[in-house]
Formats: sequence, C-alpha cells, structure tokens
Amino acid sequence: MANRFQLPNLGIGLGLRTTHYSTILEQKPAVDWFEILSENYLRTQGRPLDFLDQIADIYPVVMHGVSLSIGSTDPLDRQYLSELKALRDRAKARWVSDHLCWTGVAGKNTHDLLPMPYTEEALAHVVDRVRAVQDFLGAPLALENPSSYAEFAADSMREWEFLGRLAEQADCALLLDVNNVYVSSKNHGFDPLTYLNALPFDRVVQFHVAGHTDHGTHIIDSHIGPVIDPVWQLLAAAHRRSQGVPVLLEWDAVLPRCV
Amino acid sequence: MNRHATADALGLHERASATPERAGAPRATALGSAPAWTEGKLGLRAQQEWFAAIVTTPQNEPAPVAEQSAGRLITSSQTLSSLERIDIYRRGYHARLIECLVDDYPVLEHALGGEAFETLSRRYIARHPSNGPSLNYFGRHMAEFCRTEPLPEPGFAADLATLEWAIVLSIHAPTAEAIGFEDLGQVPSERWPGARFRVNPSLEILQLDYPVNAYLQAYRQGKPMALPAARRTSVAVYRTGRSVWRLELEPTMVTLIESLAKGATLEAGLAEVQALLQHEAEHQIAKQVSHCFQHSVSSGLFSAILL
Repeated sequence: MANRFQLPNLGIGLGLRTTHYSTILEQKPAVDWFEILSENYLRTQGRPLDFLDQIADIYPVVMHGVSLSIGSTDPLDRQYLSELKALRDRAKARWVSDHLCWTGVAGKNTHDLLPMPYTEEALAHVVDRVRAVQDFLGAPLALENPSSYAEFAADSMREWEFLGRLAEQADCALLLDVNNVYVSSKNHGFDPLTYLNALPFDRVVQFHVAGHTDHGTHIIDSHIGPVIDPVWQLLAAAHRRSQGVPVLLEWDAVLPRCV
Repeated sequence: MNRHATADALGLHERASATPERAGAPRATALGSAPAWTEGKLGLRAQQEWFAAIVTTPQNEPAPVAEQSAGRLITSSQTLSSLERIDIYRRGYHARLIECLVDDYPVLEHALGGEAFETLSRRYIARHPSNGPSLNYFGRHMAEFCRTEPLPEPGFAADLATLEWAIVLSIHAPTAEAIGFEDLGQVPSERWPGARFRVNPSLEILQLDYPVNAYLQAYRQGKPMALPAARRTSVAVYRTGRSVWRLELEPTMVTLIESLAKGATLEAGLAEVQALLQHEAEHQIAKQVSHCFQHSVSSGLFSAILL
C-alpha cells in the first residue's frame, strides 16, 4: 500500500480480451490480475457478463474506461455513471480508471480520446467534474495520461503540469501510461523524464505499458506488438519513483495466442 | 431442418484505448466550409465543437477549415502541419467505427466486397453518428440503411444485415439454458394441456425475403456461394449458454413458437399448428404436430415450463 489511496499493488496484469476468455477459464494462467475495458460490459445483459462473472471470481479485476469524457463540456452522463458503478460492484473491481480527454461534444461520441487544451479554464472544468464523479462513485477515480497527436495553440501549461495540478486539486489518483508519455514526447518534442519528474507519484496507482507504431513523422499509440526498450526503460524510471505500483500490458491488435 | 452454431461471436468488437488505423483511407485535399471563427480566443466549448467538426467530417470530403485557421486552434509540429495533426484523429475516428461495423457485419462485408462495404460504412457513420458511450448498438441501423443505399441488391443486403444484427443482439440478450426432454418428463400428464412455455429470452424470429442464412452458413464453411435469388425464409436466432444458434423454421414451428411466446397454453398452440395443417391427411397432421413440438424442444427454443 504505497499510494495515498491505500490501493493494493496487484502485481503484473493483462488486459482482458474476448479471444482469451475460454483459455483463461480453462487453463487459469498465472496472471496476477486483469484489466477490463468497462464499455465492453455495459449495455449488455448477455455473454460478455457471463464470462466476466466467472473470471472475476478467480482473478482481481480493475476497470478501465474510454467513454467517461471527463474533459467534455457536455454534462456528465449520469446514466453511464450509474452503469459504471453497478459494473464495479458486480465485478468487485479494485478501482475505476479513464483518460484525461474528451470523447465528444454536443451529444455525439467520437469514441476517440481527443486531446484537452491545457488552459486554466480547462483545468477548473475538469477538476469540478472529477470531484463530481468521485462523489458519485464514492471512491477515487484514476485518470490516465493519453497519447496525443495535437497541441492546442491556447495551451498555457504542459500536460504534466496540468495532470499534476488536476490530481492535487481534485484529489484523484493517476494511471501513468509510460508508453503514452513516450509517444507524446516524440510527437511534441519533450523529455519524458521531465514529465515523470513533475508527477506526484504518491497518487500513481497503476502503470500501463504497450507497443506503438512509428510512422516517421509521428507515433501512433496502436497497442500493437511488443514494448520497445526505451519504453521499458521509462517504466523502470517510473518504478524507481514509486513504491510499488501494479503494471499492465495493453495489447489490442494482432493479439498473440494465449498459451 | 439444420441448426447451425455461430461461432463468430466470441470476437465481437471490443472497445480499446488504442488509436486504430486503416490503410488506404482517403485524405482531404481541399477546403470545405469552415466553422465560424476568425477573430479572438475560443473558450473550451468552442474549441471542442471546432475540433469535433473537423474530426467527424467524412474523409472523402474536404477538411472544413483552411490550414491557416487550423493553426489558430492546433499548433504545427516539426514534421506535421496543424491540419495533418488533427487529421490523425479524423482517420482514427472513422477507422474505429468502420472496424466496429466490420465486426458486426463480416458476411455483409464479404458479400459487398471490402471496398464497397467501407464506402457503405463511411456513409453510415455520417448518417448515424454514435450518440452514446457504448458501441454495442452502433450498428443497429444497418439493415434499414442498406434499403436506402444504391447497392446492387439492397433487399439481399438488408436481409443479411438483419440476420447478422440478430446474432449481435442474441449475444447481448440475457443468458438462459434450454429445457430438454428430461424436463418434460417431470410434467404430470394431466398438466400438459394447460402448460405454458417460456421461450428463450434471446430468441428472435426473422421473416426474410432472401435465403441469407444459407448464404451465411456457406460463408462460415468456407464455401462462399453466389448471391441467391429471392426466397422467403423464417429463421430463429437465439443463444443457449455461450453458443449462438441459427435455425431455419417451417411455418408450423413459427406458428407454435409465436403462439407460446404470447402466453398461449400448449394445447392452444398446438391447435393453431393443427389448423395450419388442415389440408393434410389426418395421420400426417398428428405426425407433423408432434414433430413440430419435439423439434422446438430439442432445438433449445424453450427455457422453462410454467405450470
């Protein structure tokens, strides 16, 4: 329990993917815990939940969402939050996370993690919304730094300052994706260690690592293929700054077989 | 009558935080109509509306802003212009939703061909943008959409989409196990006439103008067939446990299942079946009524007996 929220260090986890359901249940591989994509288990009464129920009986589960849209200027979706809370209770999820981003506006959802402008206005807006979500959930929310491909002309601070101030003011937890730090550092030209040095590590409750795709002019957070050495080195640097944080490998495309 | 398991659905589309990419997506090359913003600073709301307007513009249409205007919102990098940076999100938006439709409609994609299906998908995304947090039901309008599109065989495409969408719905419907003949054996004989049956909660009976189930099955078996001529069929789609089933139904089974689903007793339901067979020889009627009920049970269409 090295973080201020007393959330446990679960060890090494994997993202739960449908292609692995049967193998997991039949072979019960030695994985410390699984992270689920929350939205895959919302708005369904059927088979996805059947599998989740069985897997959650065997392994610790953490929820990771992509539709909270914490930065959107649309009102918070109370129905979505209710469903999220019910799913957390059903799966006995250890915590709930989502991204520092917005996914849509004016009632439309792009289902993409769109970048925030890092301004005082945006910071105040997100702080209020994180507090509201935490009040609703009755638990700390962990926010992840997204990969980004664009920076706003109106930015008045860098992402790490925004994230650090947000975490302090909203009293929320952080999910540090070191691959995203690496991807954004290449896309925007900053030193990833500067990013790490600025973060309040007592609020970091989970790490992500993943593969990415380098297009030469920019890097895409594709979650394809193995993690490259510089990202592992960044994970090591983050690990040294923490006192024991669970690590999760994200792999979403061209998945290896579960053996 | 054959009951076919649909093994595809384990791989139903998943949400992910990765940025999807799709090869060959067309790029905007010209200027469309720009959102109204020429002077002053934008607030957060306006920034998001402006950004979303570009991201959701179809990729075969010009970007709705000039490079200079894009630069007022998004900075350029050492390697990419402002518009090119926003275009990464634009491509990701369309790629993710196309992936979702491909996952829901793999056989329709096969029938139309990859390029035509992608064109159809891009038009679908523009016509039916997502307005909720889940992608589970994003593809729900595809059948009706196919009927309005300039496709070679819109009726066939719509029926195929109807069948594939029923498979998706069965996956998300509540899970139920089927009753079997051993359960029937527990019912005292005097209770049979008044017995009612709960049909599987995932069951959907489709009335189709084309034999799309046979087409889908041929595709699954790796023996793709030519687009079939029109022929009316009734197909039940339902799930027991982890397995999704497709079952072509004879008219007698449709009558019995629909009757029981409405709450009729077994006696009343079988009477409706009997009425349907009134032109058959008497010994044939009894045989067919019995077969109809037994086949419905053995196919797993009922989940409970209500006495």
